[in-house]
Amino acid sequence: MDYLDFIDSVQSLADGVLFGTTYALLGIGFTLIFGVMHKINLSFAAASIGAAYASLLILAGVKAPPALVFLLSAVCGGGIGALVYLVGFRFIPLANPLATLMSTVGLLLLIDELIVHQTEGVPMNYPALFSDVMIRAGPFNLRGDLMFVFGLGVACMLLLLLLLYRTKLGLATRAVSQQPVAAELCGISIINVNILTFVITGVVGGLAGAMIGAAIGMLSPLLSLPLTVKGLIVTVIGGLGSIPGAIIAGLLVGGLENLFQFFRGVSERDLYIMLLLFAFLVFRPGGLFAPKAGRD
Amino acid sequence: MDFYLGLIQIIGVHTLLGLSAYCVLLTGQVSLAQAGFFAIGAYVAGMLTVLAGWPIVPALIVAALVAGAMACAVGFPALRVKGLMLVVATTAFGEAVRLFFFNFNYQLERGGFKFGPHGGEGFRQIRYFPEHGWSTFDVMLFIWVAVVLVMAALWWMDRSRAGAVLRAVGEDELAAQSSGINVTAVKVTAMTVGGVIAGVGGGLFAHYTTHIEHVQFGVVLATFAVAYPILGGLSNVFGTLLAVIFIQGFLIEGLRFMGDWRNLLFGGLIVLAMNVRPRGLIDAHTTLALKRIFRRKESAGA
Repeated sequence: MDYLDFIDSVQSLADGVLFGTTYALLGIGFTLIFGVMHKINLSFAAASIGAAYASLLILAGVKAPPALVFLLSAVCGGGIGALVYLVGFRFIPLANPLATLMSTVGLLLLIDELIVHQTEGVPMNYPALFSDVMIRAGPFNLRGDLMFVFGLGVACMLLLLLLLYRTKLGLATRAVSQQPVAAELCGISIINVNILTFVITGVVGGLAGAMIGAAIGMLSPLLSLPLTVKGLIVTVIGGLGSIPGAIIAGLLVGGLENLFQFFRGVSERDLYIMLLLFAFLVFRPGGLFAPKAGRD
Repeated sequence: MDFYLGLIQIIGVHTLLGLSAYCVLLTGQVSLAQAGFFAIGAYVAGMLTVLAGWPIVPALIVAALVAGAMACAVGFPALRVKGLMLVVATTAFGEAVRLFFFNFNYQLERGGFKFGPHGGEGFRQIRYFPEHGWSTFDVMLFIWVAVVLVMAALWWMDRSRAGAVLRAVGEDELAAQSSGINVTAVKVTAMTVGGVIAGVGGGLFAHYTTHIEHVQFGVVLATFAVAYPILGGLSNVFGTLLAVIFIQGFLIEGLRFMGDWRNLLFGGLIVLAMNVRPRGLIDAHTTLALKRIFRRKESAGA
């Protein structure tokens, strides 16, 4: 491998890691819901894309600044999160894991089709911030819009960690995820905590959807299934219920994905990510940061 | 008329797919790898009849065995994990199989034409049925013979000790293990049987559509495979059949007049069904109620 190839591979790795923040946010969403309810919400990635779409559609006639679009996407994400809980979880007996799995699959299809119905399946352009900025560091270029996405993702993660570990709400959330019955005996309303978790993850997802739209430059309903798969892979590699794990796994998957794409082409890229996941499942089934007293 | 025959063919093949997921679900595991086994069956059977010139029945048997062997091989590492981890692991396997066929190129030249799988373009001209003069009705009959055989076998298995063992593992793994059941062996066996059934379904699918490509075997097909038995209920094989007829016959074909509102209704009705009947359309209560009605009639007649 000569010098130029080396430069290019490092460059694609860096771009991938920057884009990986979006995977990390999706992974955090799956992990948080799993941590609190011990349930998997398959409609999460679709809801994130849906929130990004909603922000575009609401501001369709107005010439809004991109920052406002991002903010609105987060708000819509929270709203969609609450709706997903009400429709897909609230009235279904939680003792039956298959039922909520199926209802979230139904929601995934429903959200996808709502998007297709509203936009007639045509991809829409998404505004990006700082897309004209290019930072040069020696032989490498750092794209301004990817840097912004990265910064936003990191800020979002820090806020989330603060929320979980420094507020009463976070305390309640962690209590429910550790011992639901004991938490209820202490006067914590499980339903309220569940709804709040869905709203919080929805906000994170809405931001992730906006970031994906900004980084790719457009939104398409075809994004939601691959993103669901990627988000689940990140969740498992990071360790179920572990937020730091989801962050590191997201960056790892993003970087490696771009590296594989550079070496083997786009059609084989995901094959190696799947093999990576399989290697993890065989040699380290708990993921990078498995919680010690993990219950599944 | 051919339209309805075609619809019955689709229902038959999807019933096989649903039954393959049903076997695994009985042990309490959700496997999204069924579409992968289906794809393996489709490609193997297609290559055997087109490239090697085999008759259909041995090709289907070999396809089923290959898919079953693959399921067994995947079962061992994948079933070390359960619940959500298994869902993700099997999704990854299914996607890996799909991506393998996306990059799979193996063509032979015959009479100026190239035959065989060709990467992203898929595998065209699997023309065993038209070349041997089978009518649409014959094909439909052939598919349903396979469906009835598989359903009868599973029905019989359900009423035997094997079915009780599967359900015991599905209801309570710990209790099953303490009463001397080898849980891993049972799960891998269920996975293998599921793989065999999916292989047969895939082989039939490849031959009636005559053209297969990788996009047909994605996550959507895998979710459909588990959706049938979950929607239909796990108390017996007819739940799966009912769910396939409900989804393929009513939701997909029956509501075609609604245009693109049909797709919206599709997801919505699945959510509604899970809210109203979380244990499936035909659950244990329904079976019990039906049995009671029939008993009453018998005693009234006697």
